[in-house]
Amino acid sequence: MSPPTADWIQLHDRFYRKQEIYTMLWKQMDLSKFMTAAAPFGGPLALVRDDRKVLLLQKQQPLRPSIYLYTSSGKLMEPIQWDKGRIVGMGWTDTEHLLCVIEDGTVRMYNILGEYTQFSLGKEAKDNRIIEVQIWGTGLVALTGSFQLIAVTNFDEPRPLFLADPGINEPPHSWTVIPPKFTLSRHVEVLLAINSTIIVVDATEARDELLQQGPFTKMSVSPDGKFLALFTSEGKLWVVSTDFQKNLSEFATRSQVPPRQLVWCGTDSVVLYWDKIVLMVGPYGDWIKYTYDDAIFLIPEIDGVRVISSEKCEFLQKVPDVTENIFKIGSTAPAAMLYDALDHFEKKSPKADENIRSIRLELSEAVEACIEAAGHEISHQYQRSLLKAASFGKCFLEIHNADSFVEMCKVLRVLNAVRYYEIGIPLTYVQYQRLTPEALIDRLISRHQYLLAIRICEYLKMRTDRILIHWACSKIKKSNDDVNTICKMVVEKLANKPGLSYAEIAMTAHKAGQSTLATMLLDYEPRAGDQVPLLISMQEDERALVKAIESGDTDLVYHVLLHLKRKQLPPADFFRKINDKPLACHLFEAYSRQQDPESLRQFYYQDDRHVDSANLSLIESLQLKDTTERINKIKEALPLYQKMKDNVFETKAVEDSIRLLQAQVQLEKDYSQPFTGLSVSSTVYKLVTINQSNRAAKIRSDFKMPDKRFWWIKLRALVEIRDWEGVATLAKSKKSPIGYEPFVEECVKAKQFTEAGKYILKCDAHLRAGLFLKIQAFQEAGEQAFLQKDLDTLREIRDKCPNMALQGQIDAYITQLASS
Amino acid sequence: MSTSTAAAVAAASTPAQPTGAHLGHTSLNIDSLRDLARKELVNVLDSVQGKKGLVLDPNLSGPLSLIAEFALLKDHGVEKIYHLQPGPLETDCRNLIYICRPQVNYMRYIAEHIHTHAQEARGGPYTYSLFFVPRRTALCEKVLEDEGVFGEITKGEYHLDLIPLEDDVLSLEWDSTFKELYLDQDTTSIYYAAKALMRLQGIYGLFPRILGKGDHSKALCDMMLRMRREMAVDDLDASQTLQLSQSIDSLIIIDRSVDMVTPLCTQLTYEGLIDEIFHIKNSFVEVDASLANAAAAPSGTTAGTTPTSGSGSTSVPGKKKKVPLNGGDKLFEELRDLNFAVVGGLLNKVAKRINADYEERHNAKTVPQIRQFITKMGGLAAEHQSLRLHTALAEEIMNYTMTDDFNRILEVQQNVVAGIATNKEPEYIEEMINKQAKLVPVLRLLCLYSMVNNGLKPKQYDFFRKEILETYGFEHIQTLENLRRLGMLTKQVTTKNTYSLVRTALSLIVDEVNEHAPNDISYVYSGYAPLSVRLVQCVVQQGKGKPGAAGGPGGKSTAGSSAGGGWKGFENVLRMLPGRTFDETQRVDDGQPRSSKKMNGQPKISLVFFLGGCTFTEISATRFLASQEGGMRDFVICTTQILNGNTLVDALVQKVPDLHASA
Repeated sequence: MSPPTADWIQLHDRFYRKQEIYTMLWKQMDLSKFMTAAAPFGGPLALVRDDRKVLLLQKQQPLRPSIYLYTSSGKLMEPIQWDKGRIVGMGWTDTEHLLCVIEDGTVRMYNILGEYTQFSLGKEAKDNRIIEVQIWGTGLVALTGSFQLIAVTNFDEPRPLFLADPGINEPPHSWTVIPPKFTLSRHVEVLLAINSTIIVVDATEARDELLQQGPFTKMSVSPDGKFLALFTSEGKLWVVSTDFQKNLSEFATRSQVPPRQLVWCGTDSVVLYWDKIVLMVGPYGDWIKYTYDDAIFLIPEIDGVRVISSEKCEFLQKVPDVTENIFKIGSTAPAAMLYDALDHFEKKSPKADENIRSIRLELSEAVEACIEAAGHEISHQYQRSLLKAASFGKCFLEIHNADSFVEMCKVLRVLNAVRYYEIGIPLTYVQYQRLTPEALIDRLISRHQYLLAIRICEYLKMRTDRILIHWACSKIKKSNDDVNTICKMVVEKLANKPGLSYAEIAMTAHKAGQSTLATMLLDYEPRAGDQVPLLISMQEDERALVKAIESGDTDLVYHVLLHLKRKQLPPADFFRKINDKPLACHLFEAYSRQQDPESLRQFYYQDDRHVDSANLSLIESLQLKDTTERINKIKEALPLYQKMKDNVFETKAVEDSIRLLQAQVQLEKDYSQPFTGLSVSSTVYKLVTINQSNRAAKIRSDFKMPDKRFWWIKLRALVEIRDWEGVATLAKSKKSPIGYEPFVEECVKAKQFTEAGKYILKCDAHLRAGLFLKIQAFQEAGEQAFLQKDLDTLREIRDKCPNMALQGQIDAYITQLASS
Repeated sequence: MSTSTAAAVAAASTPAQPTGAHLGHTSLNIDSLRDLARKELVNVLDSVQGKKGLVLDPNLSGPLSLIAEFALLKDHGVEKIYHLQPGPLETDCRNLIYICRPQVNYMRYIAEHIHTHAQEARGGPYTYSLFFVPRRTALCEKVLEDEGVFGEITKGEYHLDLIPLEDDVLSLEWDSTFKELYLDQDTTSIYYAAKALMRLQGIYGLFPRILGKGDHSKALCDMMLRMRREMAVDDLDASQTLQLSQSIDSLIIIDRSVDMVTPLCTQLTYEGLIDEIFHIKNSFVEVDASLANAAAAPSGTTAGTTPTSGSGSTSVPGKKKKVPLNGGDKLFEELRDLNFAVVGGLLNKVAKRINADYEERHNAKTVPQIRQFITKMGGLAAEHQSLRLHTALAEEIMNYTMTDDFNRILEVQQNVVAGIATNKEPEYIEEMINKQAKLVPVLRLLCLYSMVNNGLKPKQYDFFRKEILETYGFEHIQTLENLRRLGMLTKQVTTKNTYSLVRTALSLIVDEVNEHAPNDISYVYSGYAPLSVRLVQCVVQQGKGKPGAAGGPGGKSTAGSSAGGGWKGFENVLRMLPGRTFDETQRVDDGQPRSSKKMNGQPKISLVFFLGGCTFTEISATRFLASQEGGMRDFVICTTQILNGNTLVDALVQKVPDLHASA
């Protein structure tokens, strides 16, 4: 066992270490011939022959190149036959999908098994070609031949979006992007090296940073998005904050050739790679050089750099502080003492006790430090010895919470399992924390490592549903057994998982052409709503409709209804499907009323809903400006009403409405005034106001308007045109069917007290006093109240009366009444 | 149809005081709901970079103003706000964010905007984002597809559901619910209500008991239970960690169709009357600017709105102005639930007190005394301002309640609900029609008359229908059909009158009402107890003097019983009312002890959900129930929207497109 510090190198005040993780399984790989893209968090590598080099080096060019997917340990996962145009860039998404951007703007998204979906970056991309592309975990930015930038920031619903015009007419020296999650605006920013400066472009503007230090031939953003490493044409490495406000360090490399790769190692040092030379530069200008015999590839991680060469996969990182404290030569940190104590203890040396005593007070933190340090170790031995030291230290503590110890043991078991070269995910403890166990499980699932995934889930007490579903799906896809066997197998495995969703599995079966199996499986799906999409694609429309209704989600019902409509069934068939389902009918009505009145009419017709159908015509008639058309439309309603004998009233009403319209048309001709749209009452009212009382009377008798209403209308209309003579004539014409109080009231409202006064004596005796009071005829009011022996009103009159003499008189009335 | 609306909308959604300051003073921390909605709104706005124009569903600008003030929108790049309406949208903004309910007509408007923009020569390309509230629907996406603009729009969701209006009032603010649910029988709102209640359960824990009355209520309850079962499928952990609520011990769902009578009566509380006369929308009331300004004059800070973008909207006499009405206004908090009869006296008392407080300055002799007075002054000024507003409002209301028309309508209403049958009531309705009074109040009264009497006599029925059609237009054949379908205006088929039985059994009519010191919820209608709230009372005041028992209306009982008996004792009455009655218990499997026992001292909370909307009087009456419980029980009211008789009837009236306007 070599000492842990063997591979440490000091860079200024800190140590770096480069550890070998795997010996590559691949044979004779020449990385220089490939265009390479690797996924972070120990993810896979995608290699495709770099056509620019292939032409020079390869004797016989294969007609169809392939994309090779390898694990970090160099195990070939999947070769993908390439059948499209030239790839301008590749990259990995956060969900470990490989993106290939093709010259013509097509973007393909492959999962690890080589299945893909694709989308296009649009016409501009197609016309001008894509020349370069930058990809990050959730998006990409492409540079077109006309030097426009197109961004896609969501791969689930890819929508190409033009960024602001950078205003350049030659390709940038170099460029990069700052992913949205690191920018102030939370939207992607693109940095383009133009001349000696950098232009920052986002969706709204292109901003020149006005730098002098360029041209910059290479640039790279740190993993936390805070810093930018730039390589100038003079061979200077320059690190600034991404807002260009803070100068962090400068380092002259004496190489004017830009490095092939410039990546960050964590957030505090930068690694440059030229042919066979790797140079690591720290923040204070210190550097370390490594040399390689062959081409290598650097993969930046959040806490270091993975170095892939033809033989090895190594991990270069800053030695974590806890680890440094324990292993640094001559360290007297408590954790180091504890680690040392264990060593002595195993050698049965009394110094063990001495060590423990010396750190008695800090023992608890020493234990924690050893636990943490164990997490940072790749080597099993050191993991074990550090945990052992922690465990040893624990014995001397009276109270110690062992949770972190147990937790770390669990995590290490998981990490060691996935690091195993057959799996090939060299995840560090820090990366695991950032990635989360759920995401790790997803990655195992997508690699079809079901057993391991399930074991880990069970071990960590997580839900295994996703794994089982995925397993079942792939089983169905691959299996050649008969339907019953598969169904039995799947259901058996998935039994005792009450909430598990079968819809997805059934959908897979359906897509694989196993409709019977799909139907069988779907019966196990507990959620009505989830069954709907599958039932639709299985053409089980009616069942889909039933399930959608069951779910209570009206939109799902619409979903099915729209699907049915799209099929353009004969209306009768369609209606038959929904007829016995009230909710579906109601929703169909609501939708059709707005979008498709014609099919609503058909629906009503076949369902014998004549009243609704008639009303539909009436409502439509309201939209028509032309009176003849309108009348015709209303006439459509008539026979419909007449179909039902209950609708005598409606039939009559509709006939009346037609007669009214016809009468109004005539009125408009005679008086050149608008009448259509008015009701019967309003028509009469209007006729009175234009002094056409005879016509008004005609309309009235045509429509058999009750006396009462007619009198009211006429009275109000006459008052409106202030035809007091007319009012008087009306009052005298015969005995008023509405009494005379309204005459008084209407005149009072029009502030015509004298006019009002004329009718008061015609009103009921007990009302007169109050009415006189309203027109401020106090004397008459008093007299009337006295006659009616109405003490309350008398008192009210007295209070309101402004005339002293009158008040006296009323007082007299009051005394007279009170005494009697 | 463009720039002018911008100003109007901006003004509409900009209360000067921070919104929601009045929330969060109870154990439920209602304001956290608002904070969530606010955060999500910010995410929505930030999803589009740079400066943007916001195009709002007119029905959402009110609710949104309860969530965020204009300054917040501005901070996140909103330059202009437009209402989503038909016709082209002219704007300088290149990035447009639409926020709207998933309604088909809106999709067509948006498509129209996009089509006209595409033909435009000037200006760069537009980007469109569309956020559906509360979720995107297949239906809307289909329409966008049909219109050929599906690909142009980035679509998202803004999950705004229950909006806290007060610490004890949450509303979906979905104005069309009543019509959709009962007339169109479109149950979408039940689904959204269920989702919203599930979210509440996620925050406060499972409601141990769900009771309710009415078929749609039952559907809502079933859907919640179903969603809980399905939740286990989505996320077993979440469903297992869901505990019984520690604070909320029951959910009572009242279906509007169970009680259609109440909203048709004129509300007689202060807040209710403000609503009847001015119409309170999203807890804002629109009044004459002169009225609002009179209130705001002394302090200089307008309680109403601040004009922002577009042409300046400085207050011009005769212009309307929006004034917020919420619990942040202490005086309003005191007045809102009172019968209007006592409001005048109370305002007078407050005026005297404020005056006395001002007078104190003469007593302030020493420096510390003066300083003390000065610190008090700010509060006084605010109080003073609020006093001016409410005095002005009360005066306006008084003018209205003094009119003959108001009083005669009220008299008719009260006679009708009390079952005092004379000829005067239908005669008065006839007179209203003859006078060509507005249709909505006429129908409101007529429907009330019909429902209480189990329909109109056949002759009467035909007579009124003819009168209405000839006076208001034949298009109302559809209006009458709508009312008939909802059972609001029907032909009498049997003389058996269930309403009168219910009225007796639940003591809906209380003759002696003391408005000053009410002892029963009937004070909100001066003698009529809203049936809906009586039902709530049945549940919570079990076994302590049934509301309907001979001992008179409940309330004199000892507090502290739980909803233990459910509907027990009221089965007969409930059977007479339409729809199913239910009482479900939700359990947590792990056999934990029932939580209700554990709390001591903390009042238990009943959630009352009014499906299909409720009135301000019902809210007041429910609050009154809480006050009767002596601090042992609180109520939180949830509703799909707040309505009154006018909005309810108006939704059922067939509208006529104005063909002459464009001529």
